[in-house]
Amino acid sequence: MNYDYIIVGAGMGGLSAGLNLAFNHKKVLILEKNSLPGGFVTTFKRGRFEFDTSLYDLMDYGRDNHVGSLQRLFKKYNIELDPLLIPYNIRIKSLDDNFEEVIKGEIDDWVLRLEEMQSGSMSTFRSLLPVLKEIHEALNALRKNRKNIEKDFPNFIKYLDKNAYEALLDLNIPDKTIHVLGYIWIEIGSPLNKLSFIDFAECMYKYIFKRPVALTEKSIDLSLKLAKRYEELGGKIHYRSCVSEIKDIDGKKEVILTDGTTYKAKEVICNLSERYVFKNLIKENHSFANQKENARTLSMNGLVIYLGLNKSYQDLKLYNYRYYQFQNLNSATNIKSMKKFSHHTIEAIVPNIVNESCSPKNTTILVLKTLYMSDVWNNVNKTNYYQTKEMLANELIEEFENAFNIDIKEYIEEMEIATPFTFEKYTNSINGNIFGYMRLGYDNSIHRLISYEEERIPHLSFVGSSSLFGSGVDNAFYSGYYITEKLLEEERRND
Amino acid sequence: MEVIEKIEKLKKERKQIIESFGAKPIENTYIDREVKKMKEIYHTVITDIYEETKDVKTFTLTADKTSDTPVLAPFKAGQYITIHLTIDDAPVTRAYSLSSSPTLANKDIYKITIKRVENGLVSNYMLDNMNVGDKLDVSMPAGDFGYNPIKDEENVIAIAGGSGITPFMSLAYAILEGIYSCSLTVFYSIKTYEDIIFKREIEEINKKKKNVKFIVTLTREEKEGYQNGHISKEMLEPYIKEFNTVLMCGPKELYRSMNEILNEFNIPRKSVHYENFFVEYKPNEKITYKLKVIMKDKVEEITCNNDETLLVAMERAGIAAPSLCRVGECGYCRSVLLEGKVKMIGASLKKAEAENDYIHPCVSFPDSDIVLRLDI
Repeated sequence: MNYDYIIVGAGMGGLSAGLNLAFNHKKVLILEKNSLPGGFVTTFKRGRFEFDTSLYDLMDYGRDNHVGSLQRLFKKYNIELDPLLIPYNIRIKSLDDNFEEVIKGEIDDWVLRLEEMQSGSMSTFRSLLPVLKEIHEALNALRKNRKNIEKDFPNFIKYLDKNAYEALLDLNIPDKTIHVLGYIWIEIGSPLNKLSFIDFAECMYKYIFKRPVALTEKSIDLSLKLAKRYEELGGKIHYRSCVSEIKDIDGKKEVILTDGTTYKAKEVICNLSERYVFKNLIKENHSFANQKENARTLSMNGLVIYLGLNKSYQDLKLYNYRYYQFQNLNSATNIKSMKKFSHHTIEAIVPNIVNESCSPKNTTILVLKTLYMSDVWNNVNKTNYYQTKEMLANELIEEFENAFNIDIKEYIEEMEIATPFTFEKYTNSINGNIFGYMRLGYDNSIHRLISYEEERIPHLSFVGSSSLFGSGVDNAFYSGYYITEKLLEEERRND
Repeated sequence: MEVIEKIEKLKKERKQIIESFGAKPIENTYIDREVKKMKEIYHTVITDIYEETKDVKTFTLTADKTSDTPVLAPFKAGQYITIHLTIDDAPVTRAYSLSSSPTLANKDIYKITIKRVENGLVSNYMLDNMNVGDKLDVSMPAGDFGYNPIKDEENVIAIAGGSGITPFMSLAYAILEGIYSCSLTVFYSIKTYEDIIFKREIEEINKKKKNVKFIVTLTREEKEGYQNGHISKEMLEPYIKEFNTVLMCGPKELYRSMNEILNEFNIPRKSVHYENFFVEYKPNEKITYKLKVIMKDKVEEITCNNDETLLVAMERAGIAAPSLCRVGECGYCRSVLLEGKVKMIGASLKKAEAENDYIHPCVSFPDSDIVLRLDI
């Protein structure tokens, strides 16, 4: 069976790549090992609750007057969403700094609150906004291969080689304000002193100007919608199709499934990490690929606890949409502490605050998450797996209860615990990591982007969270679009 | 791309850094290696068969060390495995609760206890045809039924009807071996003394007078040392405390009668858990429909009776349709209903599955001719 393109994996990157290729009338086949599309963007049921595995904030969607790139792409493919705006409603607590704040209301309330915390924040924060905008525009120009970047976007050039911490200091943001604003690092997984300011600025820009939204439906609804539209556009998708090998034969790519079925295509696009593909699917030795993998760092993995509570969020006094507890406001210090099981970084989300109907009446969904680095799981084996995960989950629930003075345990009707083993099993994410490769040193998304052409492997591309733009649905989806645009351009050039 | 000095510099630096690293192939991490051990199918050998009663046998399954699955996955007490057989050239599966201690899985051993079902294809085959030394393929353990030390109470009441006793045997061992610190009282309702499964083990456990106790009640026989009749409010009363968790495994009628009793004790919904293992549906008249199965690269046209599930019809026709729980819960068999109508009994569908015409063939009975998309 011959195709123009074969896509391995129907995650957000794979579906996005499929949509753009099918939209351009290419003959495309997506091979997905699970029986539903979506990858991380899926749900599971326990009793009367349906839990979203991962997607809560859809970044870069935006509003009517500030349309984000994700919304623009969805519109292009006629994919309708009825999203809910996520308000700023975040409680942040840091133990070492004795700090607890709620960021609530609109951006102006926020700025006033920052000023109260540290005088001088207001004016410098205001002066930061045009810089964020300039960098966002420069990135767009760079992605579209426009000229005059150096001349038009001096701040982009100025901060190109600066990390977020250095740059924010340079922009006169007070130290404490940097760390408060910088809590967002936890959504990227990289410490501020290693995260490129360009990456940070882009994330901050999207967060402030292209407000994130929540889905009215469950996340699997979005995945199925994308897959359905892809099929309507003429794309083909095979589920329960686990790829075991990708070969080069007579100038073509051969993709072989575990059951031996073989498909052929001119190009293969993997919605998988380069590490997974070179380690498991490609037999030939690629020395640059190996060097690159040895040079990179995988992001953290995590423990996620999904709780179905039998009371309303009002009754439970869960008034904030997100809760964060850090040991320290300094991201680098926090990440260091993640090399042990016992640390105090907690992230919690109460989707009902934005979407009342996400669980049955008078119930609440609460999702708790914590992150781990390096080989902290190495003593967990089959003899202690269930006990360890129950012990960790219990500690995390109690830590959350104590941190925010909220009783949870006695209201748990349903619960499920996901470990790195769970995530890797379902998504092939190496080491069960959550954010793809860490954006560190020379492996921030800006570095991946400028080196893309040079590092490109003929007829083999990568999309998704472990590719160019990093993790998050917005980045994964955009990578699928960006990469396929490049491939289509190449095709046109060769014709 | 326009040549910008700073960009060129960054590119060069990135390249130098990458090239300063060796080209040795990337190794699997510990988690990667553990995940690679998880399989859809584990190959086992039957190493013991114990006759519990005249129509119940316990099979001891040990990992086939000569196969590519020399180790078995761990499980939680209450979980089940699905066995895979080929009977008369047709691939079939059945799910059975694990009846052995979770710690036996550390030694790569599972036990399942199978009761003969009248006209049952698989149970009769297992009881009559399988011998020690025979090989058996099983799924990885699955299911959410069981005790959860975080959300469940210290006082656990288990209600078992007939072969519904099996998961509680596993739970009893888990508690006795210190995996959980709760106390367990198992109310076990069974027809006659001769039908009691795990008689020997129950007696031994009761003798220990630890935090696990079995109370056996015979519904069709009176016998000294045993309770008589169905499980009643009076029987439960002495064991109900302020906070209780109730686990039930047995036929639907048992759940119905128990729910009435539990209501009287004011046990909240969140503290009662059921194991689902029966799918019952009896159409008024028997009709045979056409079933067209569209697979990835082929199409098959078969027939399906309205008193059998689409899954059973496919198995009968030799189609290796995927299946795991066989009670509509796990979603492993999910397929798209392209044309036709089905009666789905107790399927736990995601909202978006229902809206996108997904069905779970393991609990779907045809109500018309059917066209099904099944990606295999």
